[in-house]
Amino acid sequence: MNRRNFLYNLNGGLGALAMTDLLAKEAAGPLAPKKPMHAPKAKNVIMLFMEGGPGQMDTFDPKPKLNALHKTESKSTRGLETGFKFYVGSPFKSRKVGQAGLEMSDQWQHLPEVADELCNYRGCTAESLNHPEALFHMNTGSRLGADPALGAWVNYGLGTVNQNLPGYVVMTELALPQGGSRNWSNGFLPGHFQGTRLRPTGSPILDLHAPAHKTREHQRAALDELAFLNQRHAAKHPGHADLATRMESYELAYRMQAEVPGVIDLKGEPEHVREAYGMNRKETAEFGRQCLMARRLVEKGVRFVQIFSGGWDSHDYLERGHASRIRSVDQPMTTLIKDLKERGMLDDTLVIWTGEFGRTPDNNKRGGVYSLGRGHNADAMTMLLAGGGVKRGAIVGATDEIGAKAVEVAHPIRDLHVTLLHLLGLDDNNLTYFHAGRYKQLSQFGGQVIKELIA
Amino acid sequence: MRFHGFFLSIWLGTSCLTAADREGERLFALKVRGILNAKCLACHGEAGKKLKGDLDLSSRAAMLKGGESEEASLVPGKPLASPLYLAATREHEEDWSAMPPKENDKLTADQLAVLKRWIDLGAPWPDAKKQARYIAEERAKPVTAEGVLVKTSGGTSEDWTYRRYKPEDVWAFQPVVKPKVPQGAANPVDAFINRKLKSAGFARAPQADFRTLVKRAYYDLTGLPPTPFEIFQFRQAWDKDPVQAWAALIDRLLASPHYGERWGQHWLDVARYADTGGYSNDYERSNMWRYRDYVIRAFNDDKPYDEFIREQIAGDELADASLRRRINNWNQFQNARQNGKLYNAREAEQLVASSFLRMGPWDPAMVKSPQARQIYLDDVVNAVGETFLSTTMRCFKCHDHKFDPLPTRDYYRMYAVFEPTQLAERPTPFFEAENRAGFKEGQATTQHLLSFATDKHNALYNKQESAAREWYTKAGTKYLDEKARQKLPDEEKPPRHVGLSPEEQGRKKVRRQDEWIWQRRLERYQPMAQSVYNGPVPNFLNARKLRMNARANNKWRPDSRILGGGALEAPGAKVTPGVLSALGVPVAGAEQADAFQIPDALDGRRLALANWIANPANPITARSIVNRVWQKHFGQPLAANPNNFGAKGGKPTHPELLDWLAADFVEHGWKFKRLHRLIMLSATYRQSGTHPQAAELAVADPNNHLFAFRAPRRLSAEELRDSLLKATGELNPAIGGLPVMPEINMEVALQPRMIQFSLSPAYQPSRTPAERNRRTIYAYRVRGQANPFLETFNQPNPNDSCEARVAETVTPQVFTLLNSSVMSDRAIALALRTEKEFDTLHLQVKHAVQLAYGRVPDKVEWERLKQYITKMRAYHAAHEPAPVKYPTAIKRSLVEELTGQPFEYEEILPVFENYVHDKKPADVSANTRALADLCLLLFNSNEFVYVY
Repeated sequence: MNRRNFLYNLNGGLGALAMTDLLAKEAAGPLAPKKPMHAPKAKNVIMLFMEGGPGQMDTFDPKPKLNALHKTESKSTRGLETGFKFYVGSPFKSRKVGQAGLEMSDQWQHLPEVADELCNYRGCTAESLNHPEALFHMNTGSRLGADPALGAWVNYGLGTVNQNLPGYVVMTELALPQGGSRNWSNGFLPGHFQGTRLRPTGSPILDLHAPAHKTREHQRAALDELAFLNQRHAAKHPGHADLATRMESYELAYRMQAEVPGVIDLKGEPEHVREAYGMNRKETAEFGRQCLMARRLVEKGVRFVQIFSGGWDSHDYLERGHASRIRSVDQPMTTLIKDLKERGMLDDTLVIWTGEFGRTPDNNKRGGVYSLGRGHNADAMTMLLAGGGVKRGAIVGATDEIGAKAVEVAHPIRDLHVTLLHLLGLDDNNLTYFHAGRYKQLSQFGGQVIKELIA
Repeated sequence: MRFHGFFLSIWLGTSCLTAADREGERLFALKVRGILNAKCLACHGEAGKKLKGDLDLSSRAAMLKGGESEEASLVPGKPLASPLYLAATREHEEDWSAMPPKENDKLTADQLAVLKRWIDLGAPWPDAKKQARYIAEERAKPVTAEGVLVKTSGGTSEDWTYRRYKPEDVWAFQPVVKPKVPQGAANPVDAFINRKLKSAGFARAPQADFRTLVKRAYYDLTGLPPTPFEIFQFRQAWDKDPVQAWAALIDRLLASPHYGERWGQHWLDVARYADTGGYSNDYERSNMWRYRDYVIRAFNDDKPYDEFIREQIAGDELADASLRRRINNWNQFQNARQNGKLYNAREAEQLVASSFLRMGPWDPAMVKSPQARQIYLDDVVNAVGETFLSTTMRCFKCHDHKFDPLPTRDYYRMYAVFEPTQLAERPTPFFEAENRAGFKEGQATTQHLLSFATDKHNALYNKQESAAREWYTKAGTKYLDEKARQKLPDEEKPPRHVGLSPEEQGRKKVRRQDEWIWQRRLERYQPMAQSVYNGPVPNFLNARKLRMNARANNKWRPDSRILGGGALEAPGAKVTPGVLSALGVPVAGAEQADAFQIPDALDGRRLALANWIANPANPITARSIVNRVWQKHFGQPLAANPNNFGAKGGKPTHPELLDWLAADFVEHGWKFKRLHRLIMLSATYRQSGTHPQAAELAVADPNNHLFAFRAPRRLSAEELRDSLLKATGELNPAIGGLPVMPEINMEVALQPRMIQFSLSPAYQPSRTPAERNRRTIYAYRVRGQANPFLETFNQPNPNDSCEARVAETVTPQVFTLLNSSVMSDRAIALALRTEKEFDTLHLQVKHAVQLAYGRVPDKVEWERLKQYITKMRAYHAAHEPAPVKYPTAIKRSLVEELTGQPFEYEEILPVFENYVHDKKPADVSANTRALADLCLLLFNSNEFVYVY
């Protein structure tokens, strides 16, 4: 019997669930790789989450009509705010890029280089107009903030290749996004599927290392002593299977302590790579570091990597705000896609760039002044997908002529989730977990694959 | 539950109909019709809609005619030649594309069989009148092979109203009939458990030894381990008379104030206790701690469960009704409600209890008022259903329940009960039983933080306004302040944020948000409760400040309706307030015509609902709570899903035992302590964790549904932390009071956290060890920021009701237990304690093991652990730890959402100015550090974290 079989077969603690869920079908541990349900197009996911909600008309979905209406009164009741509203044209010029003619605002200086790898989807619709609920919805399929995240479901369905690293890694800015760790929670799935946050400063994983005065040798000696205590205890409780699992978790932790620093230490990356990811410029350094890390993690077998980049909530000063946000992600994500392609990883790595919702074509006065920004819009948004079996150089779906509402290939978030699972070889209707008296699934009640997105 | 008891005798047969014809007609009327309606007619025969593929399936003649293919879709008698059937099988796609087209809509195997059989029988299609007769005949039978009928207030379709349930799926809706206790055991628990064990061919495990039992009892009843002395005392009593010793121990523990903390925690899991409101702002609910203490007191005082129910659902109504009895004059009464001063202690307690209705995460920021109300109402209805009725209400918000006899009408009747409920912090006097320690110091600290924010904000505001003054001077018009000029057109006033750089604009917003946060924190010390009142929906909702308007229009009534698909945009039929009809328990005093209605008054709806829930005849209430109590004693409930007794929840393993316990609980006044005694005095409870036939049981009963032995469990997050503090002697056993701030990982404490427009302030631990080292139930619970230690050990997310704790082993637990400063502090504390109490290494090792494990080390352990420490003494003599510093201020950085540019600001951390920190490695000798190494290992070991 190999180590993992030994480790998990014994575990009677899964209780009643063991008879009914996927865990039972897998002889090896909960994170061991599992066969997909059908032939997958993608194996890994890198999700770039633009927290705050980028404006579709200011990024990839230009609206000339809206520009013509600039500062004229809007009678729309969409969005939250009431009172006088006026249209806001995009401060940016748009142009067609790549052979396929994707549209990008002129703030994107680098991304045109990979335009023909991208699929711009304009049909997704959210439900909630406030950040945490919309974030929960995009990340977990439910607005309540208590359900498993997409990355948790994917690991539940597919496991992960490298058992010494977490299967679902999350990187954020120094500040957590609204709603915090509920955005990468395992929800009701077992704790193994929880997203592990790699912290931007300090210890990459909380308490990964012992205090400095305790060396690795010291730790080894301590673990040996602990094993002694645990073995004697286990001898008195032969029927208690959890004891072995817990003993083994100390050894796994010890190996992770050795493995993680190697993966996250970017010092060995050559200068031209750091340069290409924008790590040498203040503006792009953080997102660049995270994009490079994402590539390395996927290379090492991490199934699902998510990066949160905030500051997109431009209710005012949109020109400054969005320009600065675009600059901070433009070069790093362009390089990420190029890098994945050069390494032959883009075919089975799905890259997604999205916010939690889109923005309105109009705005309210703030403090009585025409403020050039946009409100929250759940009826229209824009996103990019690349690699992993999605169409290349394509625009899918459309919003109306002012970008207020998705009108073609319009689908709710649950359909996007079903589609992502489908690309990974998972069927949302079969990827279920029995919890609180019913079988639960990412889409909540089922959804459909957005075929138009698939190559 | 009532079966449809009316018997119609309808003569259906005619001499010209064969039995096969009748079967076919009946099948059509009862089944096929429904399948066609649900699966086919939307595209193939809905009146006024274009037919897809020209195919009409709305009559037999049209079926025989077929569609575009010009082939009959039905060949009577020959299903395998009937395209209707072949398409539905989805197995003949080369000829007939799969129907219905969406995979999700496909026919079930049962439906396919029905369709096939009907075609086999010649596909008869009786006229509408005849169909109606077949249906009426069927509905007259309360029980058929397909199941039983359950009478409800009615679904949105007749098919739903008259659908049948398997009796075992509606077990919880049936009245509790107290079963006879089986012969052969003195304790009824044992009698029921033994009977099932015996029929499975097993005997129960032998009794556990005294040491296991004493530890088990302490943890189960108080969440704390016994001290070595307490174990010794129990041993003496046990040696004299084990039966008496055990009973006395249970009585003593039930009388301990820590009992309420332990069982209060279980209740808070279900109620979703947190000190903040979650979502965008995660505003503090400053007085929520009073509810937490109410729950603890309720358990300690053995408050009858029916009263506990009434107070939490309708405490404000009870308090106001009681106040009204003292104050006759209407105006005086309203004034008294508004200022709260005249409520007596009992009424104040009831107001505090109603905080249960404020427990869900809720913040109306950026949400329109009707939606914000709906979010609240959906949440509170579901919370009441899950908590008290083990019914997940969400499942029939958008449609009649898919599996249970719960029509969507009943959802909206319960919804209507809460529609007048408005949220407010209500003036509520403090009372004797409440712990008000630390008010003065807490107020001073908060005031300090508030002044800092206010000063910073004012400075920026003044800078802006002096620039505005300059602008007005230049423009030659009269100066107006920010508020006064707000509505003016752009040309007539200075630009917004005039005189402030983008960084300063950002800082101004942060300081303003900080002012709100600290102002709210000050409300902790005010006589207020997170409560509710009845009235019209206020014009403006803001979670920052919710106040009662006692003088609001009391003629107002909500327009209560069924919301189609759960959407506010689709209001349907009107509903009155009411209860779940399937339970068959009438509302007290309701009219016969509709026994499940609650009067349409502004006040009293919730009290009526609470009385209905707490009615001894309610079949679910008592089953629900005794199931939860059982679960916490045995690790698993009798009915597997304590929040869902419906068809999809786990069926009870011992239904008769569950019913006996429920009936007995109600008969004896809904008292918890009596129930604990009954359970803990049983031989079943006293069983050992090992069974002589473990191998056979692992096959026959892998999930221990027979309760043939005691399943060990890992300590919960709270028990783990509390046990550490108890072992080290650091635990401050005070009961109740303000939320306390244990020390947490400092990286997390100082880590910025986004809230609306700003960052939340850093986490500052309580200043002194005595304040920090309180039991975990008192730790400040923030929805947006979990305590990393507790979260790692599966403390549940308070956004959702937790029906069962989980205890999976994951690697972050290892990092926390081995490497965190919190654990290092505990290890040093235990080392210092043992050094203080004993001089020699020999005795120190013995004492440390005893404090951690409740037993002395055996010889082999003793020798080996001493050697380990000796080695570690040498190690630590050569490895000097660095001292720990706590910052008194930090620089924060935030991306200003308006400009996309980061800006910095300073935040003060006054608590660290005279912080009394725990002893750190650098504060103690190398020998103490070596002993602490052992203590850390003891705390990491399985013997410490599992209870048997």
